[in-house]
Amino acid sequence: MQNLRLVLIFDKTVRFSHLDAKLLGGYRALKCAHGVILMETYGWLIDEKKCIECRACEAACKQWNNVEIGVGVRRRQVRVTESGAFPAVKQQALTGGCNHCDNAYCMKVCPVKAISRRSADGTVQIDQTKCVGCQQCAAFCPYSAPQFNTRTKRMDKCTMCTDRTDAGLRPACASLCPTGALQWGKWSEISGQGSSSTDNFANPQQTLPRIRFIKDAFPVVG
Amino acid sequence: MALTRRNLLKYSGAAGAGLMTAPAALAAFDEHFKPASGASADAAKVVSCCGVCSPACGLQATVKDGVVQFIEGLPGDAHGDGHLCGKGAAGAGFLYDPDRLKYPMKRTNPNKGFNEDPGWVRITWTEALDTIALQMKNTIAQSGAEACLFVTLPSPDLFARFMSAMGIVNRVDHRDECFQSDTVIQKYTTGGKSWCNDFENSKYILLFGWDIVAKAKLVYANGVVKARSNGAKVVHFSPTYSATSRMSNEWFNINPGTDLAVALAMINVIVGESIYNKDFVDKYSNFTQYESEIRAHFQQYTPEWAEKESGVPANDIRRITREFAGSGASIAPAHKKTLCANYMNASQLVHAISILNILAGTIDRPGGRYFARTHAIPGVDAVYPPPAYPAKQGRRVDGRDKLPFVNEIDQGMFSTLADGMLNKFPGMIKFAFWNAYTILALPNPKTMEEAMRQVNFTVVMDFIPTDTVSMADIVLPSAMYLELNDAVARDYNAKFPQSIARTAITNPIFETKSAGYVAIELGKRLCPDYFKLSDGSWINPNTLLDEKVKRAGLGTDFADFKAKGIVQNPAAFTPRTTFATPADAGGKCQIYVPHFAAKGAEALPKWHTKREIPNPDFPLYYITFIPAIHKRNTTENNRILNEIMPTNHAIINPALASKMGIREGQSVLVRSRAGQIELPAHLSQTVRPDAVLVAHGFGHASRYLGAAGGKGVRDGDLIPNAAIEEFVAAGNYAGASCIMDAVCSIEPL
Repeated sequence: MQNLRLVLIFDKTVRFSHLDAKLLGGYRALKCAHGVILMETYGWLIDEKKCIECRACEAACKQWNNVEIGVGVRRRQVRVTESGAFPAVKQQALTGGCNHCDNAYCMKVCPVKAISRRSADGTVQIDQTKCVGCQQCAAFCPYSAPQFNTRTKRMDKCTMCTDRTDAGLRPACASLCPTGALQWGKWSEISGQGSSSTDNFANPQQTLPRIRFIKDAFPVVG
Repeated sequence: MALTRRNLLKYSGAAGAGLMTAPAALAAFDEHFKPASGASADAAKVVSCCGVCSPACGLQATVKDGVVQFIEGLPGDAHGDGHLCGKGAAGAGFLYDPDRLKYPMKRTNPNKGFNEDPGWVRITWTEALDTIALQMKNTIAQSGAEACLFVTLPSPDLFARFMSAMGIVNRVDHRDECFQSDTVIQKYTTGGKSWCNDFENSKYILLFGWDIVAKAKLVYANGVVKARSNGAKVVHFSPTYSATSRMSNEWFNINPGTDLAVALAMINVIVGESIYNKDFVDKYSNFTQYESEIRAHFQQYTPEWAEKESGVPANDIRRITREFAGSGASIAPAHKKTLCANYMNASQLVHAISILNILAGTIDRPGGRYFARTHAIPGVDAVYPPPAYPAKQGRRVDGRDKLPFVNEIDQGMFSTLADGMLNKFPGMIKFAFWNAYTILALPNPKTMEEAMRQVNFTVVMDFIPTDTVSMADIVLPSAMYLELNDAVARDYNAKFPQSIARTAITNPIFETKSAGYVAIELGKRLCPDYFKLSDGSWINPNTLLDEKVKRAGLGTDFADFKAKGIVQNPAAFTPRTTFATPADAGGKCQIYVPHFAAKGAEALPKWHTKREIPNPDFPLYYITFIPAIHKRNTTENNRILNEIMPTNHAIINPALASKMGIREGQSVLVRSRAGQIELPAHLSQTVRPDAVLVAHGFGHASRYLGAAGGKGVRDGDLIPNAAIEEFVAAGNYAGASCIMDAVCSIEPL
């Protein structure tokens, strides 16, 4: 089933500069012959307390995308961070991949314009035929999303499984996540939920990542 | 995205090809993965079941050109709830492991050892089976059935039938390292081991040691997450801080091996304050019959006493006990190879936990441990009744006959096997058949390796060339779970019957076969009467499966069941009012178990210490764990999982590291009275400063395991050998394997 991504069409009287290429309540504005259209965009919702470290997201990503093993590329990765001293220790397990930022530094710094935004859904993609493997994108990404493939000498990263989403499926990682710790959906529905950041997550004000965090997942009991 | 051979090798990260000479193996891969032509090239989803761990979550595999491309959960499956864990999601990594055993082989080098090249030569299945049958026949003729050792679970049912027909007395398995203590205790206290915990309706979940969220079954992890989402309270006692601690409302850093003290004190409080579920306890347990014994027995185990043993404050024990008793839907699950159930005092601990559940009144009640409502899928013996089996005659090499409660449930005893083979009955075992177990599965693999060398003839059936394979005389390549058909009942989340068709997603690749096939073929050669039907034909596994499906009401035959995928019979949950405890218990749950006392065990659980406590020579607790991304010692060669976690470390608290002068990543020597291991240190605040934590499953020596071979160390090398007499003397009547009991020292290198 094809996803319906077209949201609204304005006629030519609407000034594009008012809409610009920024997100409007989760939608992406694009120019077209008839005027301006708003397209659906997508993002991640992390319910971090529900992560059980099972790594289904990682394995699913590897499998679906046939990501090579042993070349330094793990497009999605659960990182476990601890804080405090035993026994007052705290731990956080956070799944991470590419956040397909609105202000994607990777895209801006790529010297050969190998990184671009896909018009259909606003995702950020690397064109392997253009990439020269200079790793500038990796240096500027706060989320370690672009990774250097040591065999091909090019950069690799999460595509948000556009081959799946184009067919109406969720990305492999979010589809497999058993507890709902990693969810995916329309940015118009996600962007208003939870908070924009969490512990051990780089300041979102810089790149405007398309990810939100639910921090208190469970009801408080006495 | 078709998985061509080139993609496969890329995907698996190896250009080598296992045991066979490279050209032959590569040609075979090419042949197998040649894309099918025509309409079948379209991707299709096939329903099946996972086979990594026992709940066997339902799955769907995307198959294109006959090649599995993607494995995901099956909506509607009661176990996975439409999802899989990382191990299940990486399933194709097992199927297409480039190191897979492909053909039967025999060794040409008579010298056995991990450093010896076996000199493998490919043979036919006929030669392999003829040789095995002859060896077994001669062994039994000369030395009796006791000289044959089978290291296997009693499954599949055809394999169990073969062993019974041959009068095999020495069959051992890993369950003493796992849930055996629970099987023994539940049989007498509640009427049987059950895997079902109604977490989603629980209001209070009490976890002794078990890292249930990360290191167990998805069905349990999902249940606990649902419970928390529903507002349940989760309390975790564990000497390490884990994913479960994170998921819990309260975590207590308990002294290793003292969970029993807390559990006894909780009973003390519940009984002392009479805050048990009176309705359930009076009606459905033997509490009133033994009330004076019970009250007198637990009086000594005050929370103040338990605090001294466990480090858990007495006031917290009291408060938690009152919360547990008062929630109305409390549960204390007990299970397996995690901290609590494997100390020397596990028999008493699991008994105490069972008593807590009975006092909470939630046995087979909402929010508690309940018994599975499943389809009755008959075994082969029900479908084709066998002639009477011969009596099992001979000595148990592992001494299990000294543990009558373990003997009667026919599980274990990996922990005492090596001692029996080397010290009690040296030379007795002349023939060994290992099915799907590697030597790493035994508590002390170093001693087991020595024991294996003394066996005249060893057969190993497995799907990859494990360490055990390298000690074999004959190797049989095993089909794996994605290559087999079966009917699988849901028995971990089973309020009403649900079964899933395990469907062969691909035919067994190369010359791999199932254990059922081996049983039938050896049966034809050695005990034909047990494998011949009344019309003179041999048992056919496909016909057998059709018959099982039909009798279980799952379909007219397997093809019909397969077309349905899932069959379920929703029905209201009616709590049990009689329990399947021994007949003289009158259908009641037993808090006081006279049957235990009758055979030298304890009618009510007493306090026992763990096997070893830190001392000047070995001042640290040695704690092992199974990482979430691996399953025991069977998944480390899966390329996807190996990349995520390829090896193990000595995980220690920074305070200990600083005291010992150990830096992150530095090599350390960890010693126990059993031996020593050398591995890099990892510093973590999740571990007590008086403990060393090491992941199980690493240290595969086999040079034929392209990903796992040579990586990490065996945690078991520090676990002291065990003898059955020690278990008897220590009151370990349920035969827990003591894999959590060692103490150690650490020094930088």
